Amino acid sequence: MIAPVNAGHARRNNILTLCAGAAIALLLWQAPGYIDAYKIRIINLIAINAILGLSLNLIYGMGGMFSLGHAGFMAIGAYVSAILIITPDQKQIMWILDPIAPWVRDMRAPFLASLLAAGIVSAIFGCLVSIPVLRLGGDYLGIATLGFSEIIRILITNLTPITNGPLGLKGIPPHASLLMSYGCLAVMLLCMTRLMRSNFGNVIRAVRDDEVAAKTMGIDTLKTRVLVFTLGCFGGGVGGALMGNLITTIDPKMFMITQTYSLLMIVVVGGLGSITGSVVGAVLVTTMLEWLRFVENPITIGSLNIPGIPGMRMVIFSVLLIAVIIFRREGIMGMREFSWGWLLRDGKRGGTQ
Amino acid sequence: MRKFLLSLLICIVVSSSAFAADDVIKVGFFNCLTGQNAFGGQLELEGVQLALKEFPEVLGKKIELVVVDNKSDKVEAANAVTRLINRDKVSVIIGTYGSSLAIAGGEVAEVAKVPVIGTSCTNPLVTQGKRYYFRVCFIDPLQGAGAATYAYKNLGLKKAALLVDVANDYAVGLANFFKQSYTKQGGEIVSDMRYQSGDQDFTAQLTEIISKKPDIVFLPAYFAEGAIVLKQARELGATFRFMGGDAMDNPEMVTLGGDAIEGFLYTGFAYAPDMKDMNPVAKKFTENWNKAFPGKAPNGNAALGYDAFLLAVDAINRAGSADPEKIRDALEKTKDLPTVTGVTTLDSDHNPQKDIGVLEIRNAKKEFVGTVIPE
Repeated sequence: MIAPVNAGHARRNNILTLCAGAAIALLLWQAPGYIDAYKIRIINLIAINAILGLSLNLIYGMGGMFSLGHAGFMAIGAYVSAILIITPDQKQIMWILDPIAPWVRDMRAPFLASLLAAGIVSAIFGCLVSIPVLRLGGDYLGIATLGFSEIIRILITNLTPITNGPLGLKGIPPHASLLMSYGCLAVMLLCMTRLMRSNFGNVIRAVRDDEVAAKTMGIDTLKTRVLVFTLGCFGGGVGGALMGNLITTIDPKMFMITQTYSLLMIVVVGGLGSITGSVVGAVLVTTMLEWLRFVENPITIGSLNIPGIPGMRMVIFSVLLIAVIIFRREGIMGMREFSWGWLLRDGKRGGTQ
Repeated sequence: MRKFLLSLLICIVVSSSAFAADDVIKVGFFNCLTGQNAFGGQLELEGVQLALKEFPEVLGKKIELVVVDNKSDKVEAANAVTRLINRDKVSVIIGTYGSSLAIAGGEVAEVAKVPVIGTSCTNPLVTQGKRYYFRVCFIDPLQGAGAATYAYKNLGLKKAALLVDVANDYAVGLANFFKQSYTKQGGEIVSDMRYQSGDQDFTAQLTEIISKKPDIVFLPAYFAEGAIVLKQARELGATFRFMGGDAMDNPEMVTLGGDAIEGFLYTGFAYAPDMKDMNPVAKKFTENWNKAFPGKAPNGNAALGYDAFLLAVDAINRAGSADPEKIRDALEKTKDLPTVTGVTTLDSDHNPQKDIGVLEIRNAKKEFVGTVIPE
């Protein structure tokens, strides 16, 4: 449903969006001078998790395709980007098990090109996989995509001349600065809001809500779903590449099913099908996991001395998650989105836009 | 809900009021205290805590140990090190079990210029080209060659087979270095079988290995999977011996493996709680451990945690300050420091030149057989 917005409001909203964007950019640009590297790292991780959450939300929340294969697409993106930006000399030293394939060693690209390549390669794989797999629905689709993600991981583990096998890659240049991560997030947000507000956005929702009805309306549902899945995989690849650049080392074990679960958690906690929700989810999950670390430290309250228990923060985190699921089953944002109209309370509140 | 928020608020106030005074020297510790490698990280933490009890002070200041969990996860490992450096402002860091985690944490420490002492991260890549990463354990090429030398020279076994977890960087590395050294010495690898972490059934690979009639099978596994392999091999009637690496050194191994583990050989650090002619540091460590944790045998990981702490204290003493840069310089010059796992001298790559110990399970107990010089 597209909320009726009059021209004056639309112009005001655009100006507000621009101003907010500029303010955030300024803050991020100045941030390294004021806050320590630890906080910067967490803020950076939020952006990357938001990108990954958004891309999974596009597939699962908006497209209605239950995919458990996101870690696999992240892995493809991370490896493509890393191989392209590590220098040939560095690669030569790192391959200590099998000699590196010469064409892999000599591949080079600047960072932005590698990011794009990461997205495109992931998208190609996503497209190839989705054509047969998307004929399945529901849980079966989940199982098939999970299988695909495992295949990717095992291929990476065993293709030692190309990927350095289980040893992984290290010394990836740290290109994922705050501005870079948030720049990517901004582009992603812009593209996704435009996409979901367009007519194609309505087609996507129609296919998700009732495939038979959509077919009757003359929509090519398989094509729509393949396209949405491919776009989601592009985002997954870019997110994986940024993640690799942030921690500067990758190995196949990073991309196990638990990685997909933590993304799924971000999407579900934020609200399935809500762009704002994925961002909120990324902020909450990333900061809570770090902030809750204090419960693992020894705490002294008066004469009471509680020794630190490792793993305690995961227990508390799980309790919080359960609380969210019980009290807000549809996630924190549900299907709602943030809008200036909602914030400034003009006309009717909210709307599904 | 309000009560809950209130209690949360109290927690924050309490935790943030626990700020540190100036008269302490902070030592950070990041390790896998939860997750798949928790068994190793926990033992190392206990080793470090034991050493802290013995050496609570350095340069007349109290040492404060800041413990952070890395959940056996790379992203968390990098976060943990960043937190230790920026929030807790530690002077030196100890950790971790698992080379891939050490690599992730090391990249952060390298940028922030804070020295890290690795406990049991044996992959050569951990310290390769790094200014701020050191370690107290030997590296895999040395260990693999040591195992090969012991099998070929000391035992005189000419035909070996490999059974390797291909999803495990440690196992793949170690097997590779074993193979190189063993074939160079004149031995023959008759079978090279693989499996994936998490597999439960190894009968197919074992049947294939049995048909090739090797004298010894090199199994660089973690102890949980290793014990299952040994059990299944005995059930299939295998008569050859098995040899493993330092990751098999865990008190649980004997419980898991039962009778099948009898006669199992593995390379590890030159330390066992029952060994004869123990060095004085090891003796003291064993005594203190038995007092602190009665009924639980110490292993190589605990000893390495203890050693890493000794290295840190020694470096702070020689640096004469809590400045990370000065500690780094002092660490680089670590020479002839008596530690539990032998005398520690760091080479130019920040790796110690340590004896490779060979241990054997006899009568459900690990026994120190001797040391081996790798070829």
